[in-house]
Amino acid sequence: MTNLGRRAFVAGAAAMSAAPAMAQGAAKEAPGLAALVAEGKLAKLADRVGASPLVVVPVEKAGAYGGQLRRGLRGSADHNGILRMVGNQGLVRWNATFTEVLPNVAEKWEVNEASTEFTFHLRPGMKWSDGHPFTADDVVFAIEDCCKNSELYRSVPSPLVIANKPGVASKINDTTVKFTFEAPYALFLEIMATPLGQHPTLFAKHYGAQFHPKYNNKVADLVKAANVSDWGALFRSKLGDIEIPLRWGNPEKPVLDPWVVQEPYSGGATRVLMRRNPYFWQVDTEGRQLPYIDALNFSISQDVESLMLDVISGKLDIQDRHIDTLQNKPTLSQNAAKGGYRLVELVNSGAQQCQMYFNMMHKNPAMRAFFGNKSVRQALSMAIDRSEIIELVYLGQSEPYQTGPRPGHPWYHETLARQFTKYDKTAAGAMLDAAGYPRKNGQRVHPDGSKLFFAIDVIPTLYPDLVDTLELVKRHWAEIGIDCKVNTIERSLYYTRGDNNEHDCAVWPGPGGLDPMLDPRDFFAQHPQGSRYAIPWTQWYVSNGKEGEEPPESQKQRMKLFDAARGTADMAKRAAAMKALFDITAEAFETVGICLAVNAFGIASNKLRNVPVKMPSSWSWPNPGPSLPQQYYLG
Amino acid sequence: MIPSLGVISILAFILIRLPPGDFVTNYIATLAASNEIVDQNTAAELRARFGLDQPMIVQYWRWISGIVLRGDFGFSFEWQQPVGDLIWERMGLTLVLTFTTLLMTWAIALPVGVYSAVKKYSLGDYVATFFSFLGLAVPSFLLALVLMYVAAMYFSQDVGGLFSQEYLTAPWSFWKFVDLMSHIWIAVIILAVSGTASLIRIMRANMLDELSKPYVTTARAKGLSEMTLLFRYPVRLALNPFISTIAWLLPNLVSGSVIVAIVLNLPTAGPLLLQSLMSQDMYLAGAFVLLICALTLVGTLISDVLLALVDPRIRLE
Repeated sequence: MTNLGRRAFVAGAAAMSAAPAMAQGAAKEAPGLAALVAEGKLAKLADRVGASPLVVVPVEKAGAYGGQLRRGLRGSADHNGILRMVGNQGLVRWNATFTEVLPNVAEKWEVNEASTEFTFHLRPGMKWSDGHPFTADDVVFAIEDCCKNSELYRSVPSPLVIANKPGVASKINDTTVKFTFEAPYALFLEIMATPLGQHPTLFAKHYGAQFHPKYNNKVADLVKAANVSDWGALFRSKLGDIEIPLRWGNPEKPVLDPWVVQEPYSGGATRVLMRRNPYFWQVDTEGRQLPYIDALNFSISQDVESLMLDVISGKLDIQDRHIDTLQNKPTLSQNAAKGGYRLVELVNSGAQQCQMYFNMMHKNPAMRAFFGNKSVRQALSMAIDRSEIIELVYLGQSEPYQTGPRPGHPWYHETLARQFTKYDKTAAGAMLDAAGYPRKNGQRVHPDGSKLFFAIDVIPTLYPDLVDTLELVKRHWAEIGIDCKVNTIERSLYYTRGDNNEHDCAVWPGPGGLDPMLDPRDFFAQHPQGSRYAIPWTQWYVSNGKEGEEPPESQKQRMKLFDAARGTADMAKRAAAMKALFDITAEAFETVGICLAVNAFGIASNKLRNVPVKMPSSWSWPNPGPSLPQQYYLG
Repeated sequence: MIPSLGVISILAFILIRLPPGDFVTNYIATLAASNEIVDQNTAAELRARFGLDQPMIVQYWRWISGIVLRGDFGFSFEWQQPVGDLIWERMGLTLVLTFTTLLMTWAIALPVGVYSAVKKYSLGDYVATFFSFLGLAVPSFLLALVLMYVAAMYFSQDVGGLFSQEYLTAPWSFWKFVDLMSHIWIAVIILAVSGTASLIRIMRANMLDELSKPYVTTARAKGLSEMTLLFRYPVRLALNPFISTIAWLLPNLVSGSVIVAIVLNLPTAGPLLLQSLMSQDMYLAGAFVLLICALTLVGTLISDVLLALVDPRIRLE
């Protein structure tokens, strides 16, 4: 009856998650759980999933219960391999294509006009994995007692902070919790959908309180018994944190994940075993409780090569971490039939594989004039034979591209993405002639007749493919008389040169393909370490005009547009502002790119179903988590 | 011994701290390789919690005082588990593996070495020599990789690790032992190959030195049978160098065969040691280095004592 009452309370709220009929039947839950229910050792399904579980639409079709999913981990610092698979249960989540935020733990929410107040409605009757109710108290405990406790977190985790002030979480009633910020924080929902935004749902109050001095004045005894330095260390060892190995080290800890730890991830472990959470709060379209798969088995390999061997001999069901280099792809394709797996495409969340940032604010006036000349940049872009680079360096796995949201993204901008990618060295040469950079003995010279030469900074240890690409670019440019040098340098020197504005040109993978709001460095001078075509303009932007150099009108317009887009949670308004911004970026043509950021890939066993054929690959969209592994099944 | 251990502990600490960065920068870089980001506030928090923001001397004092005063080796940064537990957890299997390998090496190398010395320049000698040079020349990790590939691709055999899935966490039983034996042989062979090869060469050379000495002729003239003669005199003398290598044997228990263990995915101490060094997990790595050094010192002591026992000449001096 209480369930009915609660259901009435949230009537209308459950658009995404209309409570399905909870008919009693073996097929609605895993056979193992049904047996426990029959024995009276476990609560009935309807009581376990609550009145308003999240309804998940399976990728292909509803699956069968059972089986064990095998995945590999590396021996050290690979806890995020587990997080990506099971542990991204925040208040909200990303949709399958990384374009929209959907309800998750919260079944709906409201945002005020100023984007300073976010009210989340939780799911009535939802339970932790130990059967204890999950309520607004847990969220308030996690934020107010844990994240904002200076003995536990010396500074509040940055996703909860805007304008240097942490937000306040307050309980409205059992299933409603409100976050209040002192400044507009329109991206709060997007950030809460990323792994680093999981704090609100991380700590169970009924379990965590015993390790917290505010609720247990005998914590000191526990600290002494556990032989640790302070209560913070004890708390962490029991409840973990978002991305530390300890998160997967305590089988007793209540969680909201589809699977719970059975054999923990510890220093001596050779595998991690997880079994289904009987109280998991998600169901499929037929009202059957998820996950379909009984258990996860993460085997731990010390060596990446032996992980490859496990993949090609068919001993893993789903894997992408550590094996997704381009060099591995032929081996993996070759052995697909033998190992009984297929390749899954992982869409790179970046836009550009090799973004070239010509220093338009160069300290040398002659170079500043050269790089600052738009038709010079256009000529340089047109003189690159992109198809040759794609064929030789990227094995044909890409297409000519400049920058901007990737094809398929709702904000994809054709001009921004494709302009000046057509190979035409004759036209390019003519444009340089017209711009006043004639050839002398075959080499281009400055208008005053002095030698024209520049260096392109690249970090070989970080991006070996970019070095190969640049060697080809150098050859292409030599044909139109441009002389340059591929300057392979170490990471810290690369940054120092950039920070001091001492570089001629630098390359870096261009972000913003799927997450244009989270990293717009190539669309305007926004990032003091990233927008390397005009570092002084970024300083002007970041310091509100106090430092750096004043940018041109085109940049100022874009800075205003971006601030407008960032200040509103209204997606239509945001899209319009960004469209206008992209128009101006395309017109200004500041960066030159080679090809669309190359996709990675993973493998999935042929037995494993409901895995999307392609999914984003990103840390903000921690693949494969947002493709919902709880609805994968073994056919 | 105690003062040298003290000096070693300081050196070890400095050496582990020597590469640029610290545990936290390493941790961030490792995650960045998978495109993962650590919150800046969290990173600062970690650094403060591990005391990495303190001067080195303070860090050293925190570490060494725990060991000396309380026998507490501290917590591993990465795993937040007591260092002692982590190391001991791995020691059992490490000992089994090392001793099996050692026995196998000696069981093959000693007889073959003696044989190829006695039957110098015979067909058997050439065969033994050929294989021992081959064994010396092939890096053992490469051998491991090739064997694993062949086993996986052509025999669908699982060669990594020491146990099958079903016995991984099972309590010890007869069948678990059988399972261990069915996995351990490949590791033992790979590890034994290079050791055996060099031992054969050493044994052969030692024996050749001894065989031509006058006491052998004397013994033969006294009418001793060839076998008795061989084992009573020259072999005993030729064994001396082996005994002095026991000093290196003990530290090898911990740090030997690291690369092979990593390739074969063996749950032994080696991979843990390498991992802790690479991630600059100070307390874990420090405890390992200290342990290895202590074992070297103890090993030297043992081999000195043994040598004196075996060889009367040394006692006389």
